[in-house]
Amino acid sequence: MRKTAFLFHFFVLCSLAYGQGNGQDSSWIRDNYYKMERYIPMRDGVKLFTSFYIPKDTTARHPILLQRTPYSCAPYGEDKWRSFAERYIRYYLREGYIVVTQDVRGRWMSEGQFVDVRPFIRNKTGKEVDEASDTYDAIDWMIKNVPYNNGRVGVFGGSYPGFYAAMAAASGHPALKAVSPQAPVTDWFMGDDFHHNGAFFQMDGWAFYSSFGKPRPQPTTVGPKGFDFHSQDNYQWYLQTGALKNIMKLTGDSIAFWKDLYAHPNRDAWWQARNARVAMYNIQPAVLVVGGLFDAEDCFGAWNLFKAIRAQSPATNSHLVMGPWYHGEWASNDGTHLGNIQFGSNTAFWYQNNIEIPFFNYYLKGEGADPQTAVATIFFSGENKWKKFARWPPAEEKEQALYLQPGGGLAWEKPSGASARQASAGQASAGQAGYDEYISDPAHPVPYTEDVHFNRTREYMTDDQRFASRRTDVLSYQTPVLTEDLTLGGPLTADLKVSLSGEDADFVVKLIDVFPDDFTYGSTPAAAGHAPPRSYPMGGYQMLVRGEVMRGRFRESFEKPVPFKPGRIETVRFSIPDVAHTFRKGHRLMVQVQSSWFPLVDRNPQKFVNIYTCDDSDFQKETIRLYHDSEHPSQLILPVIK
Amino acid sequence: MRNLIYLFLLAGSLTGNAQNFVKDNYIKREVYIPMRDGVRLFTSIYIPKDPSHGPYPFLMERTPYGAGPYGDSVYRGGLGPNATLSREPFIFVYQDVRGRYMSEGSFQEMTPHKEGKKPGDGQTDESSDTWDTIDWLLKNIQGNNGRVGIWGISYPGFYASASLPDAHPAIKAVSPQAPVTDEFIGDDANHNGAFFLLDNFDFDNFFDVERPTPVTDYGHNIFSADIRDAYQFFLDLGPIKNTNKPEYFSNKGKIWNEYLGHSTYDAYWQARNIRTHLQHIRPAVLVVGGWFDAEDMFGALRTYEAIEKQTPHNDNHLIMGPWTHGGWSAGNWPRYGVLDFGQNVNEYYHQLETGFFNHYLKDSACPVLSEATVFETGSNQWRHYDAWPPAGAHPTKFYFREKGKLSTEGKMATGFDEYVSDPAHPVPYIDGVRGGRDNQYMVADQRFAVQRPDVLSWQTDTLRKDLTVTGRLRADIFLSSTGTDADLVVKLIDVLPDGYQRLVRAEVFRCKFRNSFVKPEPLIPGKITEVAYDLNEIAHTFKQGHRIMVQVQSSWFPLVDLNPQTFVNIPTCSATDFQKATIRIYHDASHLSGIVLPIVNAGIGLHEK
Repeated sequence: MRKTAFLFHFFVLCSLAYGQGNGQDSSWIRDNYYKMERYIPMRDGVKLFTSFYIPKDTTARHPILLQRTPYSCAPYGEDKWRSFAERYIRYYLREGYIVVTQDVRGRWMSEGQFVDVRPFIRNKTGKEVDEASDTYDAIDWMIKNVPYNNGRVGVFGGSYPGFYAAMAAASGHPALKAVSPQAPVTDWFMGDDFHHNGAFFQMDGWAFYSSFGKPRPQPTTVGPKGFDFHSQDNYQWYLQTGALKNIMKLTGDSIAFWKDLYAHPNRDAWWQARNARVAMYNIQPAVLVVGGLFDAEDCFGAWNLFKAIRAQSPATNSHLVMGPWYHGEWASNDGTHLGNIQFGSNTAFWYQNNIEIPFFNYYLKGEGADPQTAVATIFFSGENKWKKFARWPPAEEKEQALYLQPGGGLAWEKPSGASARQASAGQASAGQAGYDEYISDPAHPVPYTEDVHFNRTREYMTDDQRFASRRTDVLSYQTPVLTEDLTLGGPLTADLKVSLSGEDADFVVKLIDVFPDDFTYGSTPAAAGHAPPRSYPMGGYQMLVRGEVMRGRFRESFEKPVPFKPGRIETVRFSIPDVAHTFRKGHRLMVQVQSSWFPLVDRNPQKFVNIYTCDDSDFQKETIRLYHDSEHPSQLILPVIK
Repeated sequence: MRNLIYLFLLAGSLTGNAQNFVKDNYIKREVYIPMRDGVRLFTSIYIPKDPSHGPYPFLMERTPYGAGPYGDSVYRGGLGPNATLSREPFIFVYQDVRGRYMSEGSFQEMTPHKEGKKPGDGQTDESSDTWDTIDWLLKNIQGNNGRVGIWGISYPGFYASASLPDAHPAIKAVSPQAPVTDEFIGDDANHNGAFFLLDNFDFDNFFDVERPTPVTDYGHNIFSADIRDAYQFFLDLGPIKNTNKPEYFSNKGKIWNEYLGHSTYDAYWQARNIRTHLQHIRPAVLVVGGWFDAEDMFGALRTYEAIEKQTPHNDNHLIMGPWTHGGWSAGNWPRYGVLDFGQNVNEYYHQLETGFFNHYLKDSACPVLSEATVFETGSNQWRHYDAWPPAGAHPTKFYFREKGKLSTEGKMATGFDEYVSDPAHPVPYIDGVRGGRDNQYMVADQRFAVQRPDVLSWQTDTLRKDLTVTGRLRADIFLSSTGTDADLVVKLIDVLPDGYQRLVRAEVFRCKFRNSFVKPEPLIPGKITEVAYDLNEIAHTFKQGHRIMVQVQSSWFPLVDLNPQTFVNIPTCSATDFQKATIRIYHDASHLSGIVLPIVNAGIGLHEK
């Protein structure tokens, strides 16, 4: 979502390209293409602004590659060109594609009303519209009106445009042959952008919607201004701002969608209608879903949109590619690393040239051999290898429970300790009593990353978690040093046995790869004339492989939250998006559990109140116990590939 | 650590130009000087080739770190305490102290001074070794003017201090700089009885190697440890007794075992407190120290203070600057960490230091040296005082109040704040992952700490005027614990307008010593107890628009070893003795915890509407 990542790349690289781009590509495009802007009428009469880059070559017919976006098809004006030279989209121009961008309904220069993640209507009648019908109408117009098109259309898009690509796939237009939803916004309550398992990702949400969500009464080429935070410290800013209702006050209720979010704290019908997966039936075109293992925004969407298509449209020719990427890194020029973690090769370049371009070429140009894209092409971090599978999760994967143990251990066997109920309270220390405990204090939430900064980092997804291990309110469990590689591929399930002194709590479970104490990537060579880069101490690094949060009140149902009964041992079971990672021999596997992840996730007041309307005074400390006795074995169920 | 300065000077000495200057202008002699008990100390003497400006005074450093380079034809790169001085003709003398490197005899940690010893009774200490050395030099080195100056930084600073009691009459000027002074109360080994684990584990590994016979190079450390994450390393190491495991000290560290064997302020430590003996001092003294000296800031301030009190009429001066340990000897010192001083602080200091020795050793005129020359941080200005701490500061108590407020108003105060101090998750002394001790912790941003549930913080409103604090800080804390011992760490912080929490001063106190460093007493669980202690002096201006913050926590790891929070002998205790404790800091009407700041400017800019 924070399409700022996307937008940032987009605009910065564009502007860079003017000055220092690939001059050869740049002038070739200018010489061989022309630009056209048109309003395309939809079935209800609303017209959508669309920009076309069309080959001058009239000796052949060309495929159409469409992106529908809420982020603008700028620059506007037939004499003003996007700079393609620094982006891999230049390859498509070299291949002679008609490259089209459309402002979605209600955004920028398009007419109509914008609706965020507009619900899909299954059986549309008459002039009913949704994003699928808008795509249908756009495709229909294009194949009839764009000169020298070959009658084949592909749609792609990343992030929010990934949602529009998914909706395109559900349009059913026969000319649509191939679709690539990339990091598709899929379900904003369960795992993408705004919420994960019902916990509110306030920082991303507010950074994005404080500008994106502003009203646009008339078509315009001018975007909204960002909110001025006057801060370089997000932890301090969100802590000081306090309860969620104080953030609402900052908008003066001008942002409609922000109000909608607050009005729907649970996964009610409103949210259920905004789950892109409900549209994934009878999908006709070939589909290539793309996502990043370390995408802070829509990792969930990539894995789960693909799974929905496989389950609900089994006959569809669908594929998945997941690389070791931040949000959009697959479209960048450098997929060699994220933060401190190295991937051993330029994974983005490999993907572009070996997967995506052959995919569209085959289905849209109708020439060449079937690239035989595997159902799932997945990069395994840790061993830094691409692997291909005929299904996902792979057939080789078996679920295996890893149990939390007394004394900070993790083992495949259930803990044998006596039940907490049998241990006499107050006598035995916490560890012996079959549980560990911590005080979760909303006045001192666990930071999601160590450094002081304002914009949410994308690197936090692989950051060293040692700063968290050092805290009193983070529990850590780890295996002995692994004597052989341990490969995980697939989704995880956390199954925690907990008791609270309060009525609600968040549970953040982090899967961590602990590097050996003497680990090093080797020295990084210095650039000419520069000192070698200061390297991060990688020995003992605690690499976040996957972190996920669960808002405890939803443990029985996301529709109907229920409070905890103070002191009662309860099960909190939740799913965690898939991982593809190999813990190497000599490493350890660590699990951390904590009850805040700030300011990434809003603070749970730890009291059973409506979090969106509650007061600062509702936030209270509570003591949380995590059990690991034979009767209450907390565990993490792992997708082990043997 | 104490060896850093040594390494620093050595590295600095390798510049070719400087080395040529020394070789071109000095003759080097290496001699063994016999002491009164027959032990001979290795001494390296650099004599100006040009006698035309002589006779010359001696300027001597006595060191445990090696008087090398060894060999008649191998010259030091630079001479004397600073680059300006090194261009002046002195007879520079470097001596290995008794039992170190090429000197004979056996070494003692911080050699206790012996009162009342007499020539002929066979007793020696550092004062007598200095005396005997000077006596020999005056008689055997031609062209001397009969005067001696002594300087030293860190451990050599101790030897400078130790030359002062019963000083040889030829000693005219002595400059103890960051002198190791009292290693139980405030320097190096312990602060207020809390053991500085990180520094000493590293230092003693290097310093505590056995030396059966004189050597030019000790050759190795006691053990090798590849520490890349000190926090994790020391946490995994467990109780302090584990430092004597076979892979570490393995009982091969004589001093290490002395440290572990003396966990109270007993006769061992008392005998090593040189302050006791700084009486009837006759030579002029210039004490030098750094506000960001992680090792011996206490020693500088308290050595100056002891001489002032015990020898009131002595010609005694203090210079405190914005330096790390020994930072004043560098050529250039324009900034440190995030601080920019707007000037090369050392240029001015080197003038003062050179003037001091020239004046007392050569009778040359010199700029008048103030009683105290102190760099005020925050405002970045040198200040001159005729007393230290300066008279006229108003000690003002800032109370910890409800909701994290720090206020000079104590009325209607209520309640307490509490935290759980967990030895399994101690508060780091600095953020990030580091192998060795990072000196920047003394000015580092404390926001990593304020985010923790086991760190309490209180801050003032935004200051409406500059507020200058000059003098001794005192924490006065009312606490209770569920345990029977606890550490207190009190941190004074300058909160910048952008939110950066710059540490100005921090100090630890091991609560069992609240009534006596000699006889520790347990805390009584649940009972409110007052713990008051000094945090040394500061000279700092909190600028308009800033805030003053105080943080309190009960660990500072691994800078300081973990307090088990049970009343046991820490060097012999076991892992099971380490317990979580809930600690309350009170701020009700009869238990007004706070910090006393000596405020210089009246009308302090608080509570003005």
